[in-house]
Amino acid sequence: MKCLDWKEKISGYIDGEISPEEVRGVEAHLETCGECRTLERRMRAVGTGVARIETDVPPDFREELFTRLEAEELLPRRRSLFVFSLRWAAVPLAVAASVAMFLFVSPEKSKDAGAPQPAATSSKVSPQAEVQPSNIAPGKGQPVATAAAGLSVEEREIVAYLEVLEDPTAIDEQGDPDAIEIFETSPRRQG
Amino acid sequence: MRTDEELMELYRKGSRDAFEMLFARYHRKVIHFAYRMTGDQAKAEEAAQETFLRVARAASTWQPTARFSTWMYTIARRTTLNFLRDEKDEGDKVSIPPGEESGNGSPAPQLPGPSALNPEEIAWSAEIQVRFAAALQQLPESYRSAFVLNRGEGLSYEEVASVLGITVQAVKSRIFRAREMLMESLSELLP
Repeated sequence: MKCLDWKEKISGYIDGEISPEEVRGVEAHLETCGECRTLERRMRAVGTGVARIETDVPPDFREELFTRLEAEELLPRRRSLFVFSLRWAAVPLAVAASVAMFLFVSPEKSKDAGAPQPAATSSKVSPQAEVQPSNIAPGKGQPVATAAAGLSVEEREIVAYLEVLEDPTAIDEQGDPDAIEIFETSPRRQG
Repeated sequence: MRTDEELMELYRKGSRDAFEMLFARYHRKVIHFAYRMTGDQAKAEEAAQETFLRVARAASTWQPTARFSTWMYTIARRTTLNFLRDEKDEGDKVSIPPGEESGNGSPAPQLPGPSALNPEEIAWSAEIQVRFAAALQQLPESYRSAFVLNRGEGLSYEEVASVLGITVQAVKSRIFRAREMLMESLSELLP
């Protein structure tokens, strides 16, 4: 075979696409033909060169693509962690919100000093159901309305906490100080 | 580790994670392929985005018996062809004559010899990459796609034949012709 006849076989040899018999033939020829060895080197070089042609992946490539995919409803959207946790907190949050609204809109009544303030346990009030300070009337000598009568145990506990916030000295009255730990703004820990 | 075909099947059943994994595996390959085919980074990014969108849209038509990568590259090639056709219609294609000397008169860079053809060891300069990319754009699309799919993307002759819809012998011939043309246009760079 002439060198011209070996060219295409050498190309297939480089790509690993010829039979074992043809491989032996090509390798035997390359051992004896310098011109074909040069050709093989150059063929390999162009293949390597093309394989090295690359470009950068833009940093927003994925985000842009996935936005388009979601817009066409080709990808289910991921639920955010906030939404996920909100679903689980929905019931206790709803209860807390209802109680807070009830207390907020109830007519103001004088504080019953003699009424025992039951120690609240943190299990009664879930972490998500914390009372928002903004919902509490400012502690300027205006105690939050309390109604000893007609309130459930849970409601009384919430009222007790509110009264502490209104009147820091109440913290020294009956009640378990540790139970008030759930409120970050406890005056006891300030200074 | 799940195969591409398993992931595709999961995506067809509504798994976002499966598509994310396929994207993670292939997005770089698709962008590099599009860049090698178009020679333009912006077009490569658009073509790559469009490829993944088409993969997602056509997921229902994908046959589980087909190899996912072959199917994906078929879509990628058609997508880049569209971009090349658009470019041709707009008449703004700028061809760089092969073998053009650099402006400062310095000797053309040489590629290392065959003993240093390990891509991990070769110090490819940006200039060499640009010259290769330009030479690649001078190839007829049919030669370029066959060569890029085989040498750039690592597909076998049989897989390339499947992507291009031609015979294995035709693939072998196109790759050989592509090598000859590249060796001619990059002659001063080659060992």
